Amino acid sequence: MPRRQRDFLTTTTPPSAKRGGHAGGGTPAIVASHLSKRYTEVLAVDSVDIELPAGVVGGFVGPNGAGKTTTIQLLLGLVRPTGGTAQVLGESIEHPSRYMSRVGALIEAPSFYPTLSGRRNLQALTRLGRLDRSRIDEVLEIVELSERADDRVKTYSLGMKQRLGVAAALLPNPDLVILDEPTNGLDPAGIREMRTLMRSLADRGITVLVSSHLLLEIEAICDHLVMIDHGRIVFEGPIAGLLDAQKSGLIARPEHAKDLEPLAALCVAAGKQARVDGDVVRIVAGEDWAAELNRQAFADGITLRGLEATRASLEEAFFAITEREDEA
Amino acid sequence: MWGAYSSEWVKLQRRSMLGWGFGGGLFFPVLATIFTIERATKTLVIGPHGGVRVTIAALEQPTGLVHGVVDVSSLIGIVSLCIFAGAFATEYSQGTLRNLLVREPRRTQLLSGKFLALVTFIAIVVIVAVGVAVAVAFALAPGKGISTSAWTSSAGLSDLGQAVLHAFLAAAIYGVFGGALGVILRSPGVAIGVAIAWVIPIEAIIVGAIWSGGDRWLPGQLLDALAHGGNSNSSYSHALVILVIYAVVAAAGTLVLFNRRDA
Repeated sequence: MPRRQRDFLTTTTPPSAKRGGHAGGGTPAIVASHLSKRYTEVLAVDSVDIELPAGVVGGFVGPNGAGKTTTIQLLLGLVRPTGGTAQVLGESIEHPSRYMSRVGALIEAPSFYPTLSGRRNLQALTRLGRLDRSRIDEVLEIVELSERADDRVKTYSLGMKQRLGVAAALLPNPDLVILDEPTNGLDPAGIREMRTLMRSLADRGITVLVSSHLLLEIEAICDHLVMIDHGRIVFEGPIAGLLDAQKSGLIARPEHAKDLEPLAALCVAAGKQARVDGDVVRIVAGEDWAAELNRQAFADGITLRGLEATRASLEEAFFAITEREDEA
Repeated sequence: MWGAYSSEWVKLQRRSMLGWGFGGGLFFPVLATIFTIERATKTLVIGPHGGVRVTIAALEQPTGLVHGVVDVSSLIGIVSLCIFAGAFATEYSQGTLRNLLVREPRRTQLLSGKFLALVTFIAIVVIVAVGVAVAVAFALAPGKGISTSAWTSSAGLSDLGQAVLHAFLAAAIYGVFGGALGVILRSPGVAIGVAIAWVIPIEAIIVGAIWSGGDRWLPGQLLDALAHGGNSNSSYSHALVILVIYAVVAAAGTLVLFNRRDA
């Protein structure tokens, strides 16, 4: 995000300050309890429990068709649950009018009136929500669409429509922003800007829930993670906790290829899982065992050219969890 | 509701909407006025198929000013039906309804505000259409030797007012039916197609071949009677009362469906 946008964001009064506080101070921004949605034969959301703390960037991940968008639509009052309850900013989803004025959302592909300009589209939403008209220029600047604001939306690229969708979500100066796949159609620079924008929002006390299938993006920006698969929550909690809980490992690279198998055997003899992978040995072990490995290898006459600790990525954690669920 | 009303006006000011609304609304009354005056004859002429051309003497009556407009009032209603059906169904087909519900989750207010804006738009279309048709009538009348003195009499102005009112009421009720179809079917093309198919061929077939009394009860027939201020099949008051009942039922059903259905 360019410097001027960061400056802009930090000079604007936080919404919670203007409104006398929001669902912060320990009250979660989103709480769902046994939330379910069934479409005739399909159970799209299956007894979902979520507790998203206020002020965090929460990632909502899962494969296509896992139930992310339906869950978001339930939270926004766009579809009705067939079971369970949920509160958004402390209000029940049965009464969306009580909280939606403090929520901004981008749902699925951004949809606008193609023959209206970006600015006129935002005007329609501003009038509808009886919002401050000056917000239009502010949000257009945040998403870097000011120069194209008066062009018809049908001339926009997908990435520009996506940014206009984010601008629409920011119109009410929200306490909670829910973004469904906001990086779709964005180029790498746009994805990076979006990442910075989301962090900026969190820095201002705005809670962000972002769904994405780009796990690297989620890992880079999120504090909290909600993982859904086949309509069920398979993990929810701080992202650091998830990664720490995954098996970490060591990668040892002997100086001579003939030492690969003896090195792996040494590790197995020490009670560790190990396997040869090309010119390295991958060992399931904590970083604290690296020094011991180095000592034992040296004692057995194996010289290590390299030894590094690895940490499970979110992608690995995701597949490990979903595979366990599938097996179960 | 006023937020939804005001928001809808942003969309109604689109060139496409202005073009369809005013283009369609003006086309039929102006064309009918031109044809009525240009084809008027001094004596009664019966055409080969039994059609009767209006006489100059008839056009010189107070009601002569709006003769052409009254003949095509139902077509203004069809234009209104298409505009309403398109305005509601397009929100579904384009996916913009979700954006609207995020900013205005109170669905009754959203639907009511949108409907009220469209009714206002149609009222303006009817007034402008009749106004232009009247101007055309005044411009053409001297060329055909038609005296316009009765047109500006109190009776003439009263007939003009009634023509506007009848055309507006018919257009507004057509709009209610169009809006209901738009919400139910969620596709502008399908909604407009179904509506036009019902009003034009299907009702004609029902009345002609199945139920001759249907011309007193079927909505298309009643709307035609309403637009003409009553006709041989149905009095104005009968048509108005039955249509208001139909419109209230359609609006209530639409509201319930809109409130209950997932967006």
